[in-house]
Amino acid sequence: MAETLQMEGLGFEVPVGSIDGELKKLWEADEASTNASLMNFAVYSEDPGSLVRNSGIVREFTEEHACRAILIAMDREAGEADIHAWITAHCHLAHGRKSVCCEQIAFLLRGTAAGRMRNTVFAHLASDLPLVFWWQGELTDLFEESLYRLIDRFVFDSADWEDPAEGFARIREAAEDVQHRIVVQDLSWTRSNHFRLAVAALFDDLVAQRAIPEIEEVRIVAQPGHRTAALLMLAWLATQAQWRPGLELGLAAERAEGCDECHLFESRGGKSVTARIDWDAEGAPLGLLEIGAPDLMLRISREPGDTHLVHRLERAGHVLEQCGPADPDESAELVGSQLSRGGRNSLFRKVWPAFFDLLGAG
Amino acid sequence: MSNPFRDELVARARPETCTVVIFGATGDLTHRKLIPALYNLAVDGDLPAGVQILGFARRDWTDDYFRESLGKVNREVSRTGHDDAVWGPFAESIHYHQSEFQDTGGYQRLAERLEEIDRRRGGAGNRLFYLASAPEFFDDIMQHLRDAGLNEEREGCWSRVIVEKPFGTDLPSAQHLNQVVNATFEESDTYRIDHYLGKETAQNIMVLRFANSIFEPIWNSRYIDSVQITCAEHFGMEGGRGGYYDKAGAMRDMVQNHLLQLLSLVAMEPPTDLSADGVRDEKVKVLRSLRRWDTPEEIAANVIRAQYEAGHVNGKPVVGYREEDRVDPESMTEAYVALRVLVDTWRWSGVPFYVRMGKRLPKKATEISIHFKDAPDVLFNALPGGVPGGNVLVIRIQPDEGISLRITSKLPGTSLRMEPVKMDFHYASSFGKSSPEAYERLLLDAMAGDATLFARRDEVEEAWRFVDHIEHAWHASGTPPPMASYVAGSWGPKEAEDMLAATGNDWRRL
Repeated sequence: MAETLQMEGLGFEVPVGSIDGELKKLWEADEASTNASLMNFAVYSEDPGSLVRNSGIVREFTEEHACRAILIAMDREAGEADIHAWITAHCHLAHGRKSVCCEQIAFLLRGTAAGRMRNTVFAHLASDLPLVFWWQGELTDLFEESLYRLIDRFVFDSADWEDPAEGFARIREAAEDVQHRIVVQDLSWTRSNHFRLAVAALFDDLVAQRAIPEIEEVRIVAQPGHRTAALLMLAWLATQAQWRPGLELGLAAERAEGCDECHLFESRGGKSVTARIDWDAEGAPLGLLEIGAPDLMLRISREPGDTHLVHRLERAGHVLEQCGPADPDESAELVGSQLSRGGRNSLFRKVWPAFFDLLGAG
Repeated sequence: MSNPFRDELVARARPETCTVVIFGATGDLTHRKLIPALYNLAVDGDLPAGVQILGFARRDWTDDYFRESLGKVNREVSRTGHDDAVWGPFAESIHYHQSEFQDTGGYQRLAERLEEIDRRRGGAGNRLFYLASAPEFFDDIMQHLRDAGLNEEREGCWSRVIVEKPFGTDLPSAQHLNQVVNATFEESDTYRIDHYLGKETAQNIMVLRFANSIFEPIWNSRYIDSVQITCAEHFGMEGGRGGYYDKAGAMRDMVQNHLLQLLSLVAMEPPTDLSADGVRDEKVKVLRSLRRWDTPEEIAANVIRAQYEAGHVNGKPVVGYREEDRVDPESMTEAYVALRVLVDTWRWSGVPFYVRMGKRLPKKATEISIHFKDAPDVLFNALPGGVPGGNVLVIRIQPDEGISLRITSKLPGTSLRMEPVKMDFHYASSFGKSSPEAYERLLLDAMAGDATLFARRDEVEEAWRFVDHIEHAWHASGTPPPMASYVAGSWGPKEAEDMLAATGNDWRRL
């Protein structure tokens, strides 16, 4: 090792070749702790300063998700190629009784290290456990076949991408390449989870259900940085209600005058459905969803910072209002909540055709 | 008409919105279990929109008083805590209906009130009746619901009933209860709740057996020596429980329902599918296959009943069973029971299932342990001392839910020494998030029409048929088996130890 780097919160630095031995020593030093692991959880970033931040995220994440955490930060601009590694364990009292700990290995890879990145990750996976890989930031050339073929669940946030169309094209190509064995999870999709649950719950109402073919308007208010979250939610509505993309975009613009982004659909019964998306920089990432039909208004809203959504259904002079949970704002919590639910995320893939149409049309 | 926005959203049967009518709404079950369960479902966003709750009870309470009373307890016991932002709108959906259970007019007013709720909802609505009252009122409630037409399906909307245990006190009373309930509701609309089946680990028994390929091939008499099912409780008759318990006993209170349900899940054949009847068909076959002992002597040899004497639990002195509050000083009710059960099927021929339940044992624990046969008497088993301990697979139901497997391993060193070691999986260590309460899962299932985790009529009656022949020998034969005793805070009577020792076994130390 050429030099020792001081990184607060990452544990102690160890030679890369000695990681397994040093981890063993870590456990031998504390017999009171239980090592628990249900998955390999890799967090990758091309921000060299991300390690300390991500270590803090993993510390909280491991309270609910036992894992072997592998943090990787790349500094591709560095001249000389080298690798630094740190190990530590995050311990929590499980149900106030015993100390349950999860191992963390952090890597800083500097210089041209593409091949070494894959090797570094794969050499330190806990065997037989699935690999959840959280890619932070823009997809780069390091997201390629020999990496994604070994991933079981790939997590990203399309809100981080400058060009979502290009990013999704690469994700779709990768998913098709491995015949969808990889579970793909966009945090922008997860952001609308409780909005979707609330829509489903409100349409359990029989009168509201009968109004589904009559829906005329949809309005979404979102932060400008969360366009993909808004479009994914709209794509889900269109897919589930079997709306087809409308051709007369001029008409859409006319009907939704003044909206920031407009889309037109045609319902199964041939009715036109106008969808408008408005941006509110001060609001919650997803702040409002309104669905309107004659004599029916469904409204799900969230104030910035609130942990609850307000669900409201107005129809035939009757108002139903209740509260439900909201999705967290923090990326780490979104990753955690999605992993708690598990599943193959097949609904996300189901909405892709409608979503890609909307993405291109915007 | 269906709701396309529900499709593929969650991996479970879809609960439908309804009005939940709770009979016995001012009682402990409603306050401590049912309302907190419904509230937690609302917190998690799982409660269908528009669900209304109508409490039916005798006390002269108002909507507001009822809500306040429920809110106070929810604040103490809710799994997710108590958030006024959620409780406020949730409480608005709670209503109170005062009536005697025998008052015909009370049910007519109930019907009007339900219609009013339906009108506000915009049409006929689903109804879920929950019998949380004392069982002696079930007859009246069923009769009046039928007379008021509240049991009938209307305009595609269902009416279902959830029945709380006890499902009778013996076979005739269970059959009577089933007749009364089924005279009002179809069996397919009847949900007999056994909250043990709603526990995560109980649900996991089927997953463990049928989602893993390594267990099913060895899940039979060729590889399994015996099975033990233990439900230990450290508490006694606190809180006036003696009055009820002294009439029921361990056999009726726990074995007839919870423990025989667990036994069924362990011993059942793979169902043809995961439908409610697919699973319950296989469970009832197990209950039909339980060997009945013909004479009091056979029962004495295979079933041990006992009462605890004064002793110490958790370092504190406790009185004996007959000295407990509201217990008859001459009581012949068992506070402990241990059974050797045989399941007469091809798979389980000759494998004893040892089932025990007791009060005032050293700790609270419920678990199932599968004891595998020893390795052949060659190689390591041929060495002096043989292999210490056999393989045991343990499914811990509560507390500390999890699964462990005991295997034999060589101790490090130059000599050959072997010791049992344990591979242990703890839910709490691996899944930090707390599991939903059993009632949460079961209420959602009833709203979704999924009866898999509820007891079917024939299951209940078969379980009673098995238990009744033992109860008969205890209480109606001329030569009843003796009542054993054990010191409170110990693991039960010596007779129970002897029963296993006779076949070369011993109870697993928990």
